[in-house]
Amino acid sequence: MNTRSLRFQLVAWYAGLLTACFALIGAVTYVVLQNYLVSALKENQMRRARQIGQLLLEEVQHHGEGQIGDEIESRYAPSLNDRFVRITRSDGTVLYVSQAPKEGKFSPADLPAAVPAAGGEAARQILLVNGRKMLLTSRAVRAPGGAVYEVETGAPMDEVQADLRQWLLFLVSGLPVAAIIAVVGGSLLVKRALSPVDKIAASAERISSQNLGERLPVPPTGDELQRLSLALNHMIERLDQAFQYSRRFVADASHELRTPMTVLRGEIESFVEEPRMPAEWRERLGSALEEVERLANIVEGLFAISRLDAGEAQAEWVRFDLGQLAAATADQMFLLAEDKRIALSCSAPNGVWVEGDRARLKQVVVNLLDNAIKYTAEGGKVALTVSALDSKAVLEVADNGIGIPSEALPRIFDRFFRVDKARSRDQGGAGLGLSIVKSICAAHHGRVEASSTPGQGSRFRVELPLAPAEEQVGTPRRGVRPARLGEPSLPQQRNAS
Amino acid sequence: MRLLLIEDEKKVADFVARGLRAERFAVDVAGDGPGALEMVAACEYDLVILDLMLPGISGSEVLNRIRRGRKEVPVLILTARDGMAEKVAHFEAGADDYLTKPFAFAELVVRVKALLRRGPVNRSSVLRVGDLELDRLTQQVKRAGKRIELTAKEYGLLEYLVANAGRVFSRTMIIEHVWDQSFEGLTNIVDVYVRHLRAKVDDPFPTKLIHTVRGVGYSVSDQPET
Repeated sequence: MNTRSLRFQLVAWYAGLLTACFALIGAVTYVVLQNYLVSALKENQMRRARQIGQLLLEEVQHHGEGQIGDEIESRYAPSLNDRFVRITRSDGTVLYVSQAPKEGKFSPADLPAAVPAAGGEAARQILLVNGRKMLLTSRAVRAPGGAVYEVETGAPMDEVQADLRQWLLFLVSGLPVAAIIAVVGGSLLVKRALSPVDKIAASAERISSQNLGERLPVPPTGDELQRLSLALNHMIERLDQAFQYSRRFVADASHELRTPMTVLRGEIESFVEEPRMPAEWRERLGSALEEVERLANIVEGLFAISRLDAGEAQAEWVRFDLGQLAAATADQMFLLAEDKRIALSCSAPNGVWVEGDRARLKQVVVNLLDNAIKYTAEGGKVALTVSALDSKAVLEVADNGIGIPSEALPRIFDRFFRVDKARSRDQGGAGLGLSIVKSICAAHHGRVEASSTPGQGSRFRVELPLAPAEEQVGTPRRGVRPARLGEPSLPQQRNAS
Repeated sequence: MRLLLIEDEKKVADFVARGLRAERFAVDVAGDGPGALEMVAACEYDLVILDLMLPGISGSEVLNRIRRGRKEVPVLILTARDGMAEKVAHFEAGADDYLTKPFAFAELVVRVKALLRRGPVNRSSVLRVGDLELDRLTQQVKRAGKRIELTAKEYGLLEYLVANAGRVFSRTMIIEHVWDQSFEGLTNIVDVYVRHLRAKVDDPFPTKLIHTVRGVGYSVSDQPET
């Protein structure tokens, strides 16, 4: 269990506070109950003392002091009720004392002698020798003859203590139950309250620079979580705007660069075609023209990437056979490999269907093969394979060339990144080929990754979602088509206007 | 042949007009939409070259008005945008061809001539340059009467160069015509194919027909290199 999670902390606090409240209420009720029980007992005994005082006065008036004991025994039977009654004359003579109760809770003989009550009435608690407590009340009664009597009543406090013990037992056994209820109830509540947070987190996880148009679900609850999702959505919107701004900037910039490049190119071309131009000058102007063309290529590449990233660049979205496309492209690239005496092999079975823009995905194959051929020494090997794996179409281009240093690998798809700046510029690269590959793959809901062992070769792996099965004419052939290398017998393209 | 060039960028207009005049076209230049529409109304042009980014009335609007005036004149569009959707929209609006800036001037000339149905749109099936003979129907190539076996791609490349003999083509133009847009930027493939083509077409013969123009590209011509 993650003790730092909001869920754990909320439940812990909730359960702790609830249990503490329960304990506090328990303690307060205990004290209140104790006071109530003691004062009720005292009240009771006081009343009894007053009744006995009344009785004593009547007896003394009519029959003298002698009959009082019998009268008390017959009316109140204190020993049977575990009660204590004592009447003491002011000269210290005890007129009556109740007998010891049967259960021997106290012995009247142990009780201290009567103390004249200060205000006519008093109550005190006395600790007996057997460890029990007793509540004693005393009341001064003045007879008409002038004699003063001290009437004492008493009761053991056992009953009060038993009631209190029971209450305490209830509290102590109730506390863990309350704690368990607090934990269970608390986690249910917290789970309910936090489930929108899980949803928001899961949605936020899915959003990347590719789908900034998406938004988080906003629970229509009017609570803080709704505010949070709205705030996050506003943040995504600002990010989206920033991304769009940067894409628009690239698109606008490449757009604005085209006119000056057109002029530059046109003017230099008109010089190069000038027949009277000395050969050396023509050479220099040709070199300048080459640079203009490269500049045009870079601008073109940047423009393509910005359009791809904005999801605008697909001219078509059709279902086609990636295996066939790859094999045909390898055929077209064969001479390029042969020129460096590189063995280009192709294992691309028919029937690996994907969806997308054929020209763009062909560009992926072209760029990866071109890259592999460029960075493989003469006499090396380049292998192109296409396969269907689970729900993915996988296209791999592997070579045994110079490879990519591990520190450069994470940046290999970055715009303008070059592993070896001097050399790849000689090769005419603008550093955009792999960025374009990455953008095309992302625009097709796929991805591309590179792995490499420096000195032994590199491997580029493209994964695209397979097209959903469609009305298929016959069964697709899954067998590996033998690489058909050399010149294509495809219908050739002749679009010279 | 009278052409109208509608282009507000003066420098672009200058070199395009100069180049086209060198190709012996009569070229009028209009710097904005209203002026261009007046000129279209006043004069029968054989071809209109239209830049889409114009002040005042946009190029698309100019195209619409030309077409509404029931002018059958072919229109070649120049633009700095190359979105597919835009391309389709312009063809639907009545453009006949389309060139994206920065274009190669040679490419512009090829397209202009194609639209005017002269020059490279040589409908005869046999093309000749010096003693090189290329039959478009049978796709057979002969030099000095001797048959030369070419692969499909080599044939496509040679046909493109021979059909526009004397003209210099950049590698990018060759890629666009002989390969396809997926090969954009892969200019070294042209060099490799030209080398193979030379080995078959030029090396066995004393006169070289395929010329390299440094910085620009290649051309086929029976004129010796200067």
